Amino acid sequence: MRRPSPARQGPGPIPTQALRRLGLTLRRKVAGRLPGDQPTRGTAGDGTELAQLQQYAPGDDVRRIDPAASARTGEPHVRRMVPERAITTWLVVDVSPSMAFGTTTRLKSDVAEGAADVIARLATRHGGSVSLTVAAGDEAPILPPRGGKHALAALRRALETGVSADGVRGDLGAGLTRVGRLAKAPGVVAIVSDFRDEGWESALRVLAARHSVLAIEVRDPMEDALPDAGVVTFADPETGDMVDLDTSDRRLRALLAGAEAQRRERVAAALRSAGARHVTLRTDGDWLRELGRVLR
Amino acid sequence: MSLHDPINLLALLAIPLVLLMWMVSRKRRRKFAVRLPGVAAMKAATAGRAGGRWRRMLPAALVGASAVSLATAYAKPQHTVNVPIEKASVVLVSDESGSMAADDVSPSRLEASQGAARSFLKAAPKSLLVGFAGFSSGVETNVAPTTDRDAITSAIAAENADGGTATGDALQAALAQLAARKGSDGKTAPAAIVLLSDGQTTDGSDPVTAAQRAKQLGIPIYTVALGTDSGVLQLGDGRSVSVPPDPQTLAEIASTSGGKAYNVDDADTLDAIYRTLGSKIGTKPEQKEMTVAFVAGGLLLLMGGLGTGVRFRSTLT
Repeated sequence: MRRPSPARQGPGPIPTQALRRLGLTLRRKVAGRLPGDQPTRGTAGDGTELAQLQQYAPGDDVRRIDPAASARTGEPHVRRMVPERAITTWLVVDVSPSMAFGTTTRLKSDVAEGAADVIARLATRHGGSVSLTVAAGDEAPILPPRGGKHALAALRRALETGVSADGVRGDLGAGLTRVGRLAKAPGVVAIVSDFRDEGWESALRVLAARHSVLAIEVRDPMEDALPDAGVVTFADPETGDMVDLDTSDRRLRALLAGAEAQRRERVAAALRSAGARHVTLRTDGDWLRELGRVLR
Repeated sequence: MSLHDPINLLALLAIPLVLLMWMVSRKRRRKFAVRLPGVAAMKAATAGRAGGRWRRMLPAALVGASAVSLATAYAKPQHTVNVPIEKASVVLVSDESGSMAADDVSPSRLEASQGAARSFLKAAPKSLLVGFAGFSSGVETNVAPTTDRDAITSAIAAENADGGTATGDALQAALAQLAARKGSDGKTAPAAIVLLSDGQTTDGSDPVTAAQRAKQLGIPIYTVALGTDSGVLQLGDGRSVSVPPDPQTLAEIASTSGGKAYNVDDADTLDAIYRTLGSKIGTKPEQKEMTVAFVAGGLLLLMGGLGTGVRFRSTLT
C-alpha cells in the first residue's frame, strides 16, 4: 500500500491478526472448486458439514468443543467442519468524484480502499478468487477473477490510480450491470460506495437475486449535517453545480439534515428490499471494527 | 420640498459602493466554493422554501432605505409653508346698494356676498387683522382692522341692500383705516383691500383716484364684480330695473392699485375666490426644515432592518 501523504491518508493500519477472525459468509450454498488452502484455526469459512473430531490444540475456538466427545474421552475435542467451497468474490468499488471527500481523519475513498483490501484478502482465502470492477462513471474497467497473492497485487495496483477527476458523473448502475453480465456462477458481490448516484437499485436487485450481496456504504459526518459557517457557496464535485446557502440559518440546516436523512433511509430501504446486507462505514470512526462486526 | 445642501447627497454614493463590495465578495465566494457532494439534492430541498430570497434581502433592503433617508436628512430637506405675516391687515369693502337685492346670484347678491365674507374670515389666519366697510350711498359701517372676528361677523350680518353705490368714498375710508398701520419692526406692515361691487359708481368720489392713492400707499385692491348682465331688480311698485355689474371700472381699479380683478356670477365661485384670498393675503411662503422627520424615518428603517436580520437570519445584518 502507498505511504500515507497529506493528500491521501490511506485506510490506516490493517493488522493481519484482526483478519483471522473474519470471513465472508454466504447466504446460499454455491458450487465451486475444492478447497486446498492452508488450514485456518478460526471458525470463519467453515461450512456446516462435520469433517472430523480433532483433539483440542491451543488456539482452537472453544465454541467448537464437542461436549459429548470430550466427556467420552476425558480430553477436550473440537469439531472440525468442512470448509466452504471456493467462491468468486466480485468487488465493485465506486471511484466517482463524490468519493474524494472527507472532513475528519480520512477521505471516503481511503476507507473504500481499505474495505476493498480487507474483502479481497478474505476472498482469496480457501482458494477463492476476486475480481475488481472500478465504477468510474463513463467506463467501468474490470479485472477478471483471479486467486492468490497475484490477485491482491493487481487489485492494489488498480486502486492506486485513485478517484476520478472532478466533472465526471458517477454511474454505479453501469458497473453493477457489467458484473451481472459477467458473473454466471453465484458468488459474493461486495459493493463499496457512497450510493449517491441514481439508478443502481434495479441492477442491484438483479444481482441480489443470484448472488450474496454485501453493500458497504461509506459516509462522512459533514454530509449529514452542515455546521454554522455563515453564507457559503457549495459546489458539486461531479456536476459543478453551485448553490449559495446561509448556513447560519438554523431552520435551513435542519431542513437539509432532514433531506439527507431521508435519502439515507431510501438507500437503506432499497438495499433491504433487494435482500442485500448493509453496513455503514464512517470516516471519523474505526471502520475496520465496524466491518469486522458484520463479517464475523 | 427642496434640499438646502444638495451637495450632501453625495453621501448616497456609499450605497452603490457597498453594492459593489457585495458583488466582489460574492464572486470571490464562488471562486473559493466549498466542495460538497449532493449539492443537487440541497438545491432541490431549498428550492421550495417560502419567500427565501425575499427574506434574505429584506434586512439589507431596509438598512439601505434607512441610509437613503439619513443621507437625505443630511442634505437638509425643507418644504414651503405659508406663515402669516405679522400685523398684516385686510379691509373687506362690501357693496350694500339697492341692486344687491337682485337674485341673479342665488339666493340674492347680498346673501352671496355675506356668505363669501364669512368664508374669507374662516380661511384667514388668526393673526390677520380684518376690517369691514359696508357702503351704499355713503359708508354705512366701518370696522377697523382687528382680530376680533365677532365684530366683523355682526357687521356682515347687519348689512341690508338699500341705496346707491359710493365706491370711491368707501375706498377712501378703507385707506384711511390702513394708512396709519405700522409693523413691529418699524417697517410698514402689508395691507390689502377686497372690494366687492355689483354696479357703477353713482355717488361720491372717483374710485380710480382712490386706487391711485392706494398705489402710492402700497395697498393692492382686489376687486370682485358680482352679478350677471341679465340681472334684474324688482322694485316695490312692480317695475323691474336692469342692474348689470361694471367690470371695466373694477378692473381699472385693480390694475391701478396693483391688485387683481375677478368677475363672478355665482355664489360658489365667489365663495371660492374669497377663501383663496383669505388664505393668500396676509401669509408669505417660508422654507421650513423637515430634517427631523427624515432622521426619524431613517432610524425606524434601521431598527426594522436590524430586527428582521436577527429574526430571519439570526445575525445582525
